[in-house]
Amino acid sequence: MLKVDNVFAKAGEKEILKGLSLTVKPGEVHAIMGPNGSGKSTFGNLLAGMPYVTPQSGSVEYMGKDLLSLEPAERAAEGVFLAFQYPVEIPGVNNMYFLRTALNAQRKYRGEEPMDSAQFLRMVKQKIKDLNMRDDLLKRPVNVGFSGGEKKRNEVFQMGVLEPKLAILDETDSGLDIDALKIVADGVNHLRSPDRSFIIITHYQRLLDYIKPDYVHVLADGKIAKTGDKSLAFELEEQGYGWLNK
Amino acid sequence: MVGLINNWMTQAEASLDDSKQPSWLQLKRQTAQQQLQQLDDPSRTLELWRYADVSRLSKSLNSVVAPSQSKSADSGETDLLIVLNESGYTCIGQQPEWLTIQSLVEMAAQDWQDITFDQETVVNLANTLLVQSGGLITVKTTQQPVHIKLVYDFADPEAWQYVRNHFNIAGGTKVHITEQHQTGRINAVNVYRLAAGAELIRQQDIQLNVAEQFVSYNQFDTAQNVDVVNMNHHIGGSLQHHHHVVNFNAERSKYKSGSINKSFDDNNITDIVNVNHHFKYNQSDVTHRSIAKDRSQIFNNAKAYVAVGADQTEIEQDLKNILLSPDAKIFSKPELEVYTDEVVAAHGSTIGALDDTVLFYLQSRGIDIEQSRDIMIESFEREALVC
Ligand SMILES: Nc1ncnc2c1ncn2[C@@H]1O[C@H](COP(=O)(O)OP(=O)(O)OP(=O)(O)O)[C@@H](O)[C@H]1O
Ligand SMILES: [Mg+2]
Repeated sequence: MLKVDNVFAKAGEKEILKGLSLTVKPGEVHAIMGPNGSGKSTFGNLLAGMPYVTPQSGSVEYMGKDLLSLEPAERAAEGVFLAFQYPVEIPGVNNMYFLRTALNAQRKYRGEEPMDSAQFLRMVKQKIKDLNMRDDLLKRPVNVGFSGGEKKRNEVFQMGVLEPKLAILDETDSGLDIDALKIVADGVNHLRSPDRSFIIITHYQRLLDYIKPDYVHVLADGKIAKTGDKSLAFELEEQGYGWLNK
Repeated sequence: MVGLINNWMTQAEASLDDSKQPSWLQLKRQTAQQQLQQLDDPSRTLELWRYADVSRLSKSLNSVVAPSQSKSADSGETDLLIVLNESGYTCIGQQPEWLTIQSLVEMAAQDWQDITFDQETVVNLANTLLVQSGGLITVKTTQQPVHIKLVYDFADPEAWQYVRNHFNIAGGTKVHITEQHQTGRINAVNVYRLAAGAELIRQQDIQLNVAEQFVSYNQFDTAQNVDVVNMNHHIGGSLQHHHHVVNFNAERSKYKSGSINKSFDDNNITDIVNVNHHFKYNQSDVTHRSIAKDRSQIFNNAKAYVAVGADQTEIEQDLKNILLSPDAKIFSKPELEVYTDEVVAAHGSTIGALDDTVLFYLQSRGIDIEQSRDIMIESFEREALVC
């Protein structure tokens, strides 16, 4: 599904990713942990096509395509979804309108018929139920005045509606209370399927109690420094990242 | 080079002793003529013309292409459509009993509003010198709100049309008046006089093609307990120059305006709102949203004056601007001139590009960059929609 090969990339003027390689197969869940500033968000942003992140060398193959040559909107329509570490507020743009526009733009790209508002409403109602989302939030402008946790849940809700093939969750668990954490985990588990993959960036192994990862990676200084299974997350939580350098 | 004032004088000579016009009007025009002789041609040294190419006023519009197609003079949702052209006002359909129309020739001298134009407003003074069409429209009803649309529809696209509209809104009347440009090179002076308890929604829809020009001076004079909502759409054109002046002449009235200014190519748009709080307990709320593209320029400003003793005044000025290209320019700086202590005022202005993080967020959900920009611009404009 995704093959990242020896990627070097800058965030702004700064070299951040320094030889990152990672392969994700369909249906797999990969957790990425690592110290602050190690480049985790930069990696997620690179995959989604954030203009501040500029690849220098290496390659990213996604479902047989050269991912880095696609526009951000094309990547989304091809099934890449990034849940932002800091979701953006969009004043004046209603959540429902935004989501329907996004979904129909993706459908159009894929040559599918647009969803009319009745169909869309029905689908969204079901997702609201599935994801235990507060429906009044959907009538408001995107993320405006949402609490930190509400913003994160809105990211997961968007993921639920857009049904991506590769979802990257950048610290979606940070700042969530325990109930919200379960809802987010449920959202992910609900979508898990043999043809869908997840990259979950997190600082806490507790999320991994709810979403069982196939692999846990440590990203340090711009590359994958260690790969293991869930027990690696426990080790990191107990010992921190210091021992990695030894 | 022969200057603008000179052009106006020459043009006026032919019509100043027009025997069809009443003598009081000829007198007003002669006074304007004398005043103009004392003034200088408009130039960039004027505050109001600082950020526009005033020389365009005297340029030929021979590049005029077809009139913009999107405009249509249908009555739409309105109760009455009035067309103004070379032959004056024409009501389309039956004239309702709540409205009277008098042309310049028919109206009484005391219904003409003298406005003190000066060097800054010299282009509006030319309107008094050269006025040919317009008159007095009186609206009086205690029924439902009524909606009137006034359309400028002059056959000659090249010659300046000097239009003076007086609108008398009777006490307690609720009226919505839309002024719309269809064709013609217009220099308009609009005077809205609102009696106690009147409610006015006024819309100015000026959408021009690349060569067209429109100059307007708009004055709102309020008695007490008046409510004015003024919604402006100014889009395109070689030159648009709009000056709104609000005079609170009694207590407890409200003025709320929204302006959407959009320029492309090398359009010049000026949109100035001056609110004069002469009395206590009045509120003004001015919002501008301007978007400039290509090499165009927009100058938009709001200025509020609060007289000595005009306590309990409330003022809001909110001017936001977006530049869509490196060559576009916008100037905007809200101003307050306050001579009393008891005033609540909030003002702010920003100029910037579209927010990159929002743009990327929209794209990351599958919306392409053009549509993402459109969505952002639309939501930005919506903030200035006051009706
Ligand atoms: N647009 C930018 N311009 C310059 N530097 C940037 C930019 N974006 C990120 N950086 C820098 O790149 C480095 C890596 O940032 P990144 O956000 O990828 O870290 P992270 O691993 O996600 O950290 P955290 O755990 O705190 O979220 C940081 O030093 C950050 O300051
Ligand atoms: Mg991060």
